[in-house]
Amino acid sequence: MTTIDRSTAPAPTDPRPYHFPRITRTTLPNGLRVLVAESHNAPLVSVRALVRSGADHDVAALAGLASMTAEMLDEGAGSRDAIRLAEDLGVLGAALGAGADWDATYISLDVLSRNTEASLEIFGDVTARPTLPADGLERVRAERLNEILQQRNEPAAIAGKRFAGLLYGSGPYGNSIIGSAESAARIALDDVQRFYREHYVPNNSSVVISGDIDAARAIDLLTRDLGDWTRRPEPPRPTPQPRKIEASRIYVIDRPQAVQSEIRVGHLGVARSTEDYFALSVMNAIFGGVFNSRINLNLRERHGYTYGARSQFAFRREAGPFVVAAPVRNEVTRESVSEMLTELRRIRTGDIEDRELDDTKSYLMGVFPATVQTASDIASRLIDMELYGLPEDYFDRYRENIASITKDDITRVANKYLDPDRVLIVIVGNAQQIREPLGTLGFPVHEMDIDGNMLPVG
Amino acid sequence: MLTIDDYHLENGLRVVLNEDHSAPLVAINLWYHVGSKNEKRGRTGFAHLFEHMLFSGSEHVGNNEHFRYVQSVGGVLNGTTFFDRTNYFETLPSNYLALGLWLESDRMGFFLPALTQEKLDIQREVVKEERRQRYDNVPYGTAFERLLHLAYDPDYSYHWPTIGSMQDLEAASLDDVRDFFTTWYRPDNCTLTIVGDFAPDEAKRLVAQYFSDLAPGGSFPPFTLDRQAASHEQRETFASPVQLPRIYRLYHLPKMGAHEWVCADLLTTILASDKASRLDRVLVHEKQIAQDVATYVLPTESTGMMLLQATAREGVAIDAIESVIDEEIARLAVDGITEDELTRARNRAEIEFAHQLETFDGRADLIGMMSTYFGDPSMIHRWLEPYQSATAEEVAHAARKYMIPENRVTSLFIPEH
Repeated sequence: MTTIDRSTAPAPTDPRPYHFPRITRTTLPNGLRVLVAESHNAPLVSVRALVRSGADHDVAALAGLASMTAEMLDEGAGSRDAIRLAEDLGVLGAALGAGADWDATYISLDVLSRNTEASLEIFGDVTARPTLPADGLERVRAERLNEILQQRNEPAAIAGKRFAGLLYGSGPYGNSIIGSAESAARIALDDVQRFYREHYVPNNSSVVISGDIDAARAIDLLTRDLGDWTRRPEPPRPTPQPRKIEASRIYVIDRPQAVQSEIRVGHLGVARSTEDYFALSVMNAIFGGVFNSRINLNLRERHGYTYGARSQFAFRREAGPFVVAAPVRNEVTRESVSEMLTELRRIRTGDIEDRELDDTKSYLMGVFPATVQTASDIASRLIDMELYGLPEDYFDRYRENIASITKDDITRVANKYLDPDRVLIVIVGNAQQIREPLGTLGFPVHEMDIDGNMLPVG
Repeated sequence: MLTIDDYHLENGLRVVLNEDHSAPLVAINLWYHVGSKNEKRGRTGFAHLFEHMLFSGSEHVGNNEHFRYVQSVGGVLNGTTFFDRTNYFETLPSNYLALGLWLESDRMGFFLPALTQEKLDIQREVVKEERRQRYDNVPYGTAFERLLHLAYDPDYSYHWPTIGSMQDLEAASLDDVRDFFTTWYRPDNCTLTIVGDFAPDEAKRLVAQYFSDLAPGGSFPPFTLDRQAASHEQRETFASPVQLPRIYRLYHLPKMGAHEWVCADLLTTILASDKASRLDRVLVHEKQIAQDVATYVLPTESTGMMLLQATAREGVAIDAIESVIDEEIARLAVDGITEDELTRARNRAEIEFAHQLETFDGRADLIGMMSTYFGDPSMIHRWLEPYQSATAEEVAHAARKYMIPENRVTSLFIPEH
């Protein structure tokens, strides 16, 4: 064996092509859109129903209704009660789940492919024929109230809720997805039935299937199990009413036992449909979206302030927030906020190295195949296409869209969508220890309790 | 049927190849047979701190450049540390196989020249923040640590969790890093698994090129672990800032791979998994006194453990939860389980295994585990067999034998006032 030169990285060989599985599309007579992507690498099938209504439809008084309705689906469906559903799914080797986020409700089924047919029948019942029983609501409610109680001690959950409340008030995107103790207590069976009736309609929904199944067979089975789901008028879309941030402010939520500060710095972002989506994706990856991003290299690898710092544009159907986040030890809270603001200012100046732009673009272009190895991964991508109305050639054109982004694009979108002089700074931590240092940053410091009530300072 | 090619280089490196062209990717995965159980008292948390150091560069790879090389070609990567092993892995576009092997061989063979005090000091701070984030600043964060303290004597090195103590992290020195590397990070203490889109001859040529000139180490330090069975249950009640009381239990088991460990794994599914599982059904669905309940076995090499936890609803005393748990276990021990329950538990094992095999990285990690703990990567063909052959009587027997007071420890977390 000859000795090799270890001093430089070996060159790649020729790349091998990657193709996203072919997608078969159809629409059932009742308006339900169906997408199927065959992939026979594993004996598994993933099924997802997407209902295009989520917590964005919750009004403050009934916050949590969308997610509680989703949790009611497996409390009974068709001829089965909750226990019978679990038993029959277990015998089939199938896992069923349901939940809501801001933009939609999702029902998922992951099953050994040999049992797809029998499992889809149950999936059809849960989606289109849930019984929504009264005793089920009381179970779901009690669990929800205890979950809300538990979150009162979870710093990351508190920070997220307070940031959303400050940005969106009590309208869409402003309430907690799981609701409050008051709203969860108030939700009645009538409310759940009404939400189900108005939103769970086939023409407001899509079903995607991926994995070890023949596409024509999948469509036949869905026609059998969801063909009778009744079409009704499509629900109207709500519009969030974000508050304008006139100047940067700090909000401290005291957690006397805290040994870390949970920091959130940010403001309004932009909707998924933005024409700048690809430029923003590259910009955010450079700024705080990957391990080697500026925020993480600065706060973690240069200063050792945190185990991990990151930033995100929450691309939703309407403008979600842009947030920089990190948990840091109490002693370096002020310094961490200061570094975040410095980095936000720097990326707007055009100070971008060729290498970091090239590295980031090639990461985004190259990483796609590694993120769609499973039937479940593929189903999630199909759901994204349906939820955000992405074009049919979206995955095929993704590489060229990223490749086209230039330094000027990064600078332009950083200036258009980042505003370091008008940010919300939300910190859940030990107020006594961090209050004074934060005061030296030059922004007003407010204190609020974990429910968002403003407190007198001191 | 997966094709498994299993061989050793002369320096002792075990190489396992699984060719699969279903995606243009390669997963590279290294299991070093060293973990927190190899730490000395006074240096707890060191194996994990060391894992962080191994991402901080080597002779031909600069600080943070390991991450950059992998990510800039579209790769994903990480490492994890547990009691018995430390793994490092990356999934790359398949035309970058040589890059991954170059990076991994450089830190296996040429790590020490790049080591500096400054790098150690930074990673020490990062790991202390990791401990704060995951253990000290969240409700119930120290529960596993407390269970381990109760379950194992201080000289049995499962006594502490892989994160270690703040004090010991503070004490770690550059000499500790050098010693640990020299003792454990060597080709004859490692399994290199490659899964994915490669030509076997080419992969073997590259592995030989990058790894065959690395020297094996000297003899391994003597290492034995003997657990003294306790004569009675160790219990504690711990008041902390939590909203709801929660019970944590650890039951001792035979080590992973033993047939009784498999039976215990099936038992955990029957006890707590979905709404129809026994504890879930009684505690959460019918009586509605618990918020959640979970049981699972951990993949440990030296001795086995089953964990159980259940959270009381607001206003419910934790004693009430514990009584129901004990009644249900007693009932199962006497009456046994049904064939239907066994079928559901087997199905769950099958689907979880299928999900793990579904990704190249998941499969590579499983192969690394089987090679490291059992010396046999081909176990991947037979992993589900004991799950299929276990009988209802054997599963009930595992409950009777292991889920008894003198074989467990209990930590009760209650809200402080």
